[in-house]
Amino acid sequence: MTTVQAARGPETPIMAIAGASVSFGAARVLDGIDLELRRGEFVCVVGPSGSGKTTLLRLLSGLQPATTGTVFHQGTVQNGPARGVAIVFQDYAHALLPWRTAAGNVSLALEAAGLPRAQRADRIAALLATVGLAAHADHFPAQMSGGMQQRLQIARCLAQDPDVLLMDEPFGALDAMTRQKLQDEILRIVAASGVTAFFVTHDLEEAIYLGDRVVALEPNPGRVGAIFDVPLPRPRTQLSTREHPEFLRLRRDLFDFIQQFEP
Amino acid sequence: MIGVPRSVLWFLGSCLVLVAGLGLWQVLADSGAIPRAFFPGPDRVWTALHRGFSSGAMIGETLTTVRRMALGWALASVIGVGLGALVGLSPWMRTYVAPTFEGLRPIPASALAPLAVLAFGLSDGMILALIAFGAVWPMLLTTVHGVASVHPRKAEVARLLGLSRLAYAWKIALPAATPDILGGLRLGLTVALILAVVGEMITVQGGLGARIMIAARRFNAADIFAGVALLGAIGLLTNAALSQIEARLLRWTHR
Ligand SMILES: Nc1ncnc2c1ncn2[C@@H]1O[C@H](COP(=O)(O)OP(=O)(O)OP(=O)(O)O)[C@@H](O)[C@H]1O
Ligand SMILES: [Mg+2]
Repeated sequence: MTTVQAARGPETPIMAIAGASVSFGAARVLDGIDLELRRGEFVCVVGPSGSGKTTLLRLLSGLQPATTGTVFHQGTVQNGPARGVAIVFQDYAHALLPWRTAAGNVSLALEAAGLPRAQRADRIAALLATVGLAAHADHFPAQMSGGMQQRLQIARCLAQDPDVLLMDEPFGALDAMTRQKLQDEILRIVAASGVTAFFVTHDLEEAIYLGDRVVALEPNPGRVGAIFDVPLPRPRTQLSTREHPEFLRLRRDLFDFIQQFEP
Repeated sequence: MIGVPRSVLWFLGSCLVLVAGLGLWQVLADSGAIPRAFFPGPDRVWTALHRGFSSGAMIGETLTTVRRMALGWALASVIGVGLGALVGLSPWMRTYVAPTFEGLRPIPASALAPLAVLAFGLSDGMILALIAFGAVWPMLLTTVHGVASVHPRKAEVARLLGLSRLAYAWKIALPAATPDILGGLRLGLTVALILAVVGEMITVQGGLGARIMIAARRFNAADIFAGVALLGAIGLLTNAALSQIEARLLRWTHR
């Protein structure tokens, strides 16, 4: 096994992609990707449609093998999905189990981890409380709004006790108000749990609002075009953060960057 | 019609149709247009039913038929769902084994009855085998389809959580396939009743099928109709029971 990151101190990136490419048949979708996720940071990814954002996220998750190059998790080569890396999918309706209640859906992750039945109830209650669903433990997903189902999926991911939380346009299907509420919740949850977040979005403002860094992908084939640091103070708030001069400047830069690739 | 729930109206309406149908039947039978020997009216069928039940014989025969039907159906369910899950969850089996199912399925089970008689004699075992063979197909095919068409996202969730193959089958694939499987169980129930009667007509070892057979040899049309009416009632009641179970199991699909 080749271990590029020999040391595993706090300086080791929690995840790293080294010279990776992904092809589907003859089509090269990602090319020459080098990227590091530092412990506890919040990385957002933007890029035009088809630039490979989802593929990049799946590469990190281990669901998508690299055609060339390597993915590292905690300093070792990653060969497939690992419990430490969780994904919040955009299509929560398919990602949740509709025949299980909210509590049952969270339980699935605990069952998979082999947690004894007796210890599950307390964990489930705590996780549902974290995402504000304590009162809905007995509801089936079909009885919950889109925003609530997405919270539930987040709770199930947290039940995995992950060190990396990957999110693929998790709020893309939600209305604007719910979206803003969930943005603040995910910031609070990520800060409280110390998890490293990797967040794909179409929404440039959402990327700036949430991220410590914003990775902008170029299409055909997908490459890292630019990485923007976001030096906005935390905690962030919907009104003042979005009016911050730095926010407006970044929005401008990102917009200009993306604009080059729009037809 | 304010205050009367729609379902009550439906029920009253269908009762009305039933009563009208019985009335028409009686008028037709009384008119003598069809020879009475073949076509008894509801009054004579009722008398036959009454006689059968007060002597106690009909209760036993009804229970025998229900028991055979239920056992055969249960046997078919276990085989159909078990084998269906195995085949549906394995891409290899799906490619190589499933086409064989498609080839065997159109064989009418009743055509295999003589073979079953050879293997099991004129016995309960023969009837069970007959039912199991006929009723297994809808269950098998719906289960294969159900577990194979689980949304790929759910399979990814299982991979991410590190679920074993067995845990995936039990916790994700089978529950996801429940609506399909229940559809197969329902189809199988109808087939099971038909084949229970066919089997009883062949073996003549008790049961409503045998009773109808014997009544026919005695040219007792009223008794034949009584048996048929009971079979109809069995079909109706078992279907209603399964619907209840279905509604309970599929609670989660209702918004
Ligand atoms: N399994 C696959 N097989 C073949 N091609 C694929 C596959 N998955 C993705 N692609 C292709 O790879 C390219 C990148 O897809 P990807 O879904 O990663 O883009 P994206 O940036 O997430 O797009 P969007 O913003 O629309 O979600 C697209 O051209 C897509 O058609
Ligand atoms: Mg995508």
